[in-house]
Amino acid sequence: MSLFPWFLGDAGFTFAVDPLSCWFLAIIGVAGLPALIFAPGYLQHLRHRVSLSLVWVALILLMISMAGVVMAANAILFLVAWEVMALSSFALVTADHERRDSRRAAIIYLGATRAGTAFLMIGFLWAHHLTGSWVFSEWGISGTGALAPALLIFAGLATKAGCWPFHLWLPIAHPAAPAPVSALMSGVMIKTAIYVMIRLFVLDNHFVVPLLGPILLVLGAISAFWGVLFALLQHDLKRLLAYHSVENIGIILMGLGVSLLGRQHHLPLLEQLGLAAALFHTLNHAIFKSLLFLGAGAVDACTHLRDIEKLGGLVHRMPWTTGAFVTGSAAICALPPLNGFASEWLLYQGFFKLAMDGPSVGLRFGALLLMGWLALIGALAIACFVKAVGVVFLGNPRSRRAERATEAGRGMVVAQVLPAVMCIALGVAAPAVLGQLGRITSRLGDPSLLYHAWTIPLTLIALLLACTVGGLAMWVAALSRSLPARRFITWECGFGDLGPRTQYTATGFAQPISRIFGAVYSYTVDINVKGRNRRYFPDKVTAETAHEAYLETKVYTPLLQSIKRMAGIFLMRLQAGSIHQYLIYMALMLGLLFWVGVS
Amino acid sequence: MNSLFLSVLHLINLLLLPLLLMGIIRKAKAVMQNRIGAPLLQPFYDMAKFLHKTETISENAGWIFIWTPRVGLAVAVIAAILVPWTGVLLPPGWAPATNFLLMLYLLTLGKFFTMLAALDTGSAFGGLGASREATISMLAEPALIIALGALALGAGSTDLMAIYSSPASPFIALLAGAGMVITALAELSRMPVDDPTTHLELTMVHEAMILEYSGRSLAMIEYATALRTCIFFGLAVQTLLQAWPVFHALPLLLHYAASLLGLVVLGISVAVAEGILVKLKWRSVPNFLTFAVVLSLLAAVIAAVQS
Repeated sequence: MSLFPWFLGDAGFTFAVDPLSCWFLAIIGVAGLPALIFAPGYLQHLRHRVSLSLVWVALILLMISMAGVVMAANAILFLVAWEVMALSSFALVTADHERRDSRRAAIIYLGATRAGTAFLMIGFLWAHHLTGSWVFSEWGISGTGALAPALLIFAGLATKAGCWPFHLWLPIAHPAAPAPVSALMSGVMIKTAIYVMIRLFVLDNHFVVPLLGPILLVLGAISAFWGVLFALLQHDLKRLLAYHSVENIGIILMGLGVSLLGRQHHLPLLEQLGLAAALFHTLNHAIFKSLLFLGAGAVDACTHLRDIEKLGGLVHRMPWTTGAFVTGSAAICALPPLNGFASEWLLYQGFFKLAMDGPSVGLRFGALLLMGWLALIGALAIACFVKAVGVVFLGNPRSRRAERATEAGRGMVVAQVLPAVMCIALGVAAPAVLGQLGRITSRLGDPSLLYHAWTIPLTLIALLLACTVGGLAMWVAALSRSLPARRFITWECGFGDLGPRTQYTATGFAQPISRIFGAVYSYTVDINVKGRNRRYFPDKVTAETAHEAYLETKVYTPLLQSIKRMAGIFLMRLQAGSIHQYLIYMALMLGLLFWVGVS
Repeated sequence: MNSLFLSVLHLINLLLLPLLLMGIIRKAKAVMQNRIGAPLLQPFYDMAKFLHKTETISENAGWIFIWTPRVGLAVAVIAAILVPWTGVLLPPGWAPATNFLLMLYLLTLGKFFTMLAALDTGSAFGGLGASREATISMLAEPALIIALGALALGAGSTDLMAIYSSPASPFIALLAGAGMVITALAELSRMPVDDPTTHLELTMVHEAMILEYSGRSLAMIEYATALRTCIFFGLAVQTLLQAWPVFHALPLLLHYAASLLGLVVLGISVAVAEGILVKLKWRSVPNFLTFAVVLSLLAAVIAAVQS
């Protein structure tokens, strides 16, 4: 569909909309709607620090550019939309620029998007060189020559998606933005990279690279584990959620990896299962992650606190937010009958089918191992969200601000309840979602394969669950009539009133798991006991935990340092701040372009 | 006739066996400790007692604390109906509903709420129990899923009914079954991972989480625990019995009797183990659960080679 006859290089200003684009457009809409309902109420709290007009303009631009990315028919137009998306989201991250960590986050984000786009540009140029076309649908690159451009494009996309080891910017940049923007960035924007991966590598044979399946599977597995493990260590609610985006991107990539392995080994069911799991999880993650970010935003707006160690007891003060957040947490932990379970079940089935029909022993064993890996990730996610919900919403308030909190405004509540309802609906109506997915996967083969692979009666289980819980509740209500429950204080062993300080902290909750995986990030606990009789009557006991992310300290920091050093040696001379020098560059560039144009 | 008989059998299984098994374990444990012990039917009396007691709810508790016992029991009942833990299979149409991933995640839903409820009252014990429960299930669940996955490869389906109605390789069955026994001990908070009978809440996991419950809520939780015990022990027993090639050829009643016998034997051996073992130091629990992971991985290797 060519809208305008304008030309961008030798590629037209054209859009192409197929079922895959529609799926991602739907994701943009479904996750964007709650964020936009939430924004007016939330931005009220920021109105003294943030320029509202800038936020709205950038927000709308971000929505439009995301839609542009998933509809662009050629690489040039795609890059234009991609850059508008990166810059508008950069503007949103800097919105609260009076805070120092916001500015730092924005610079890191800008650096990451630049690096990502650089990879992507080289990859696209290379692909153009090989095919002579900018139009995606005309690309068909296979053989050994396809590997390098495919890997370059993949690296660029992985940076945007926040896949390990390119994820470092994500947990820094996403929490710095205002909550509805974090919801959009984590829920939708990083998925545009998934869209391109599916478009170029999975759905059609634009790039046939056999190596890519195992790469996606391994990087996905590492990302998922890494994300959830670091999420468990976080005290900032929004940063915790951002790390969970790394986890879920990992799960989506594993689905794509399964799909590619299925194609490589001619297992049509596997190909469809993997792709369907990835697409379904993309939608699900967009919904529950934006729900959770909006919940974190509501907590932030009502208490002005983001450190979860200072929160608590919000279930009595913000009941709607709590209900929605618990639903979202159950969904992201893949608990039935919610939507997260439906997509992870598809992925489990993909692994199981791979374990059954895989051509080699290693692949079959690896697939069984991945089932256990996914279970481990799921259990870690549960630990993390029990920690988050328990410390933020349950127990006693840990600070005066948490004690004084009141429920968020009506718009903010509606914006959270809407995705919570969708989490339930998409889980219960999973077969209908698969019907829609069949329109995309039919490109790979007979979609009835996919429908038959979905065997579990999730709707029935949900119904049974609702009826049993309801029946038990009625029974308890009948018993309560003759024997009402009494309210009394929490048992405190006779030591007097329980204060907020006697509760478990988030750090304490995560400590056993952090210690088990301590080798991954050199987790240390430093306990200091002070006082004359230190053993029995200490004056002061302090405990400090620390962890070090090796990837940051051992790889990225030295890399950035050496780049800085090299820049100090070479670039400093080129860019010394002399206007004469810059004029010469312009003249030289003009001459160069002229020469290129003529020859 | 057959379907009526099956439904009656199922009802008996659901209503009587869980609490009876708890009574058997307690009695065997008492015998191990040279005590007479409570009557075999004591768990039933306990249930009746709980239902007639006034329930006390913490002032701090919100809706999660109140709804958790209902969700936990509902989930356990649904899982107990669908999982073939006594070897009795439902009509074939029900097979897809017995998917082991669905069942395990459904039970996890109950656990998720139990952990949240433990944090809801603001008690330090609750947080401690929930944190340890999260750690234990993080270690146990992968082992369980790999073991069941290895077993399922032979059946070609992840439905428990298909898995337990098709013969499996004895090696896989034994290894996976052994792994499942260990994970069951961890999931059910039994020795040597957790001691359900100490007087000190600090050392407990499950009991620390449900410390604030009383009356009918406690009854629901105890019954759900009994059901979960039956489900996890039953799965382990069924898996171990798979190693016995004649097991599938047995007529229905004998099959059922063998399963029940296996369940009782496992219960008694757990009680014996609790009599002679000491509880592991908390820091050694991960090492213990590593055994389960290794056993499951061995089962997975064999399954991968054979399929």
